[in-house]
Amino acid sequence: MRYFGGCDAGSTYTKCVIIDENSTIVASVTNRSRINPVLSAEAALNEAVSQVEGLHSPQDLVYLVGTGYGRNKVPFADENISEISCHAMGVHMADPGVHAVIDIGGQDVKGIAIDTDGTVLNFAMNDKCAAGTGRFFESMANAFEMSLEEFSRLSLKAKNVIPITAQCTVFAESEVVSLVGEGKPMEEIAAGIQLSVAKRCFVMAKKAGATDSIALTGGCAKNEGLKQAIEKVLKIKVVALPVDPQLMGALGAAEYAKRVSLRLM
Amino acid sequence: MRDLSQLYYFERLLEEANNDLVREGVAAGLHPIGSVCSLIPEPLLNLPGCFSVRLRAPRTGSIDIGTYYMSSLLCECCRAVLERAVEGGYQFLDCVIAPDACSQMNRCVENIEHLKCVDKEGFFVSYCDAPMKSDDTALRHYVRQMQAHVLAPLRERFGVDISDESLRKAVGQHNRICSLLQEISEYRKEEDPRITGYEFAVLCTASYCCPKALLIDRLASVAEELRTREADPKPAFRVKVVVAGSEIDDPGLIRLMEETGARVVADRFCFGSLPERVPIRLDDTQDVLTQVCRHYLTMGKCPRYMNAQKVSERQDYVRQLVQEYRADGVIYQQMKFCDYWGYERAYASKNMREKYGVPTLSIDRPYVTGNSGQLRTRFQAFVESLEIKRL
Repeated sequence: MRYFGGCDAGSTYTKCVIIDENSTIVASVTNRSRINPVLSAEAALNEAVSQVEGLHSPQDLVYLVGTGYGRNKVPFADENISEISCHAMGVHMADPGVHAVIDIGGQDVKGIAIDTDGTVLNFAMNDKCAAGTGRFFESMANAFEMSLEEFSRLSLKAKNVIPITAQCTVFAESEVVSLVGEGKPMEEIAAGIQLSVAKRCFVMAKKAGATDSIALTGGCAKNEGLKQAIEKVLKIKVVALPVDPQLMGALGAAEYAKRVSLRLM
Repeated sequence: MRDLSQLYYFERLLEEANNDLVREGVAAGLHPIGSVCSLIPEPLLNLPGCFSVRLRAPRTGSIDIGTYYMSSLLCECCRAVLERAVEGGYQFLDCVIAPDACSQMNRCVENIEHLKCVDKEGFFVSYCDAPMKSDDTALRHYVRQMQAHVLAPLRERFGVDISDESLRKAVGQHNRICSLLQEISEYRKEEDPRITGYEFAVLCTASYCCPKALLIDRLASVAEELRTREADPKPAFRVKVVVAGSEIDDPGLIRLMEETGARVVADRFCFGSLPERVPIRLDDTQDVLTQVCRHYLTMGKCPRYMNAQKVSERQDYVRQLVQEYRADGVIYQQMKFCDYWGYERAYASKNMREKYGVPTLSIDRPYVTGNSGQLRTRFQAFVESLEIKRL
């Protein structure tokens, strides 16, 4: 059996997926990124390789594609492909019926429209600041002294939403602290934070051309409160993917690795 | 491909406004005229005895002072030019001639004047109106404005000869530059172009920033070298693109696009060559000024022209470039906060995709792009979206 790898060296998490000739996932890893993307990618690749019998080193992979912000730094990669193309392909592999994606990464938000073959039709991207990104959620959850899961659960309890007016992560944190100081219900503030990010996603999804259904990818896709807020503002169903949404970039990269290498052979 | 032997020389010319050729021109007694917009016909600023320098702000760092005077909601290019003026980067100029074409750039020039950024004796600024339509009435207005606010001040202040004969001489020199760039540009139509988009952008940008007379021999030498240059056996690009949009005065942005696999084969932007470097045809039926103004009015592709005919003409032109240069797609880029291109980019990129079926990337960008990872990701994703279809 031949194996193909995809390594998504993201700013917050490094993900690695290995697939076989049938595009079945045989190994996957998600690790917190270190400051050096080379070390992060190397560790994730070694861990993924150790999950597959017959593989001893990343060099045993037939083809390896790097993606994510550190895509140029993935050791042993034969090629790098942008995370935009890889997320589109990853979602297409997970659920070919989905034609639009919102990818909330550690430091950017992307709206991507997917063609019927998994390639990118159109995309829009916000990367000018941390507003609406994974970093924003981390910062807010820290302000609440909670984990991201606890924060998400809290927001789901809200019967009312207190809008957060500040777009900037720094100012939003100040605003949240002020609201907490005023004694406003914590769950309503949390719901307001989810709504503010959902509004960011709305713009990206509309710019990219999302129409019927949409999938969320990236670590924030596991945030149920955000998912519901997005459904509310977009008035579009958010599809639950059958594969861990955080792995979509790496899965797409692995699929490209397979397609490129088969074309080359 | 090996670097063009003159490339480093041309790159150096772009490192500062007061470059070697500008200094040479000033030392020869020529009057350097600051220009900020393509709506002032270049030959009028390059009459015998003077030469034009299109203002740029290479190697811009902070634009805090520019932002203080102009607010953060105005175009970064205008703020960067003001910043450079405050830093003393345009001290060599004898005057600035600015059309009221882009009100943001006009505010920039007003600030340069108001803040006395150029303290050279006799320095002055002249403002003129520029038309928003391209009909006969607009032409008459345009001609009057150029007479009153460009030619008259040059004659009065510097004793420049503004006769038809003198204008013809300036047009001749302008056309020589255009012809050389056109000859070089033609190589971009090749299956595997023997010149990169970056190299061409360096040459073309320099043609806006130096005395024309001093540049001709250098450009001719590049054209000569290119006649026998051969492209690499294996193409060093993955797709070909046309770049359209607002001002790109830093060829580094073109290099960034090309590093992701796009070969820029046509440049429909301010500081580009299409159609700015199309020679001006003169005959004997009318005065030269009117003919020059008509050329700029009819050839002009600035989104300041708002009549419906011009709007669709601009989109048709870009589509025509895609076909002529055998490009795979278009990159519409716009300087953030540019009013004209804000509308144009949204409308044109939508039509390009939906009406003409041309794959299009639409982005806004800061003035200083450097080695932006964010822009690189966008360009790379666009290249992939064109290329991966073939897998």
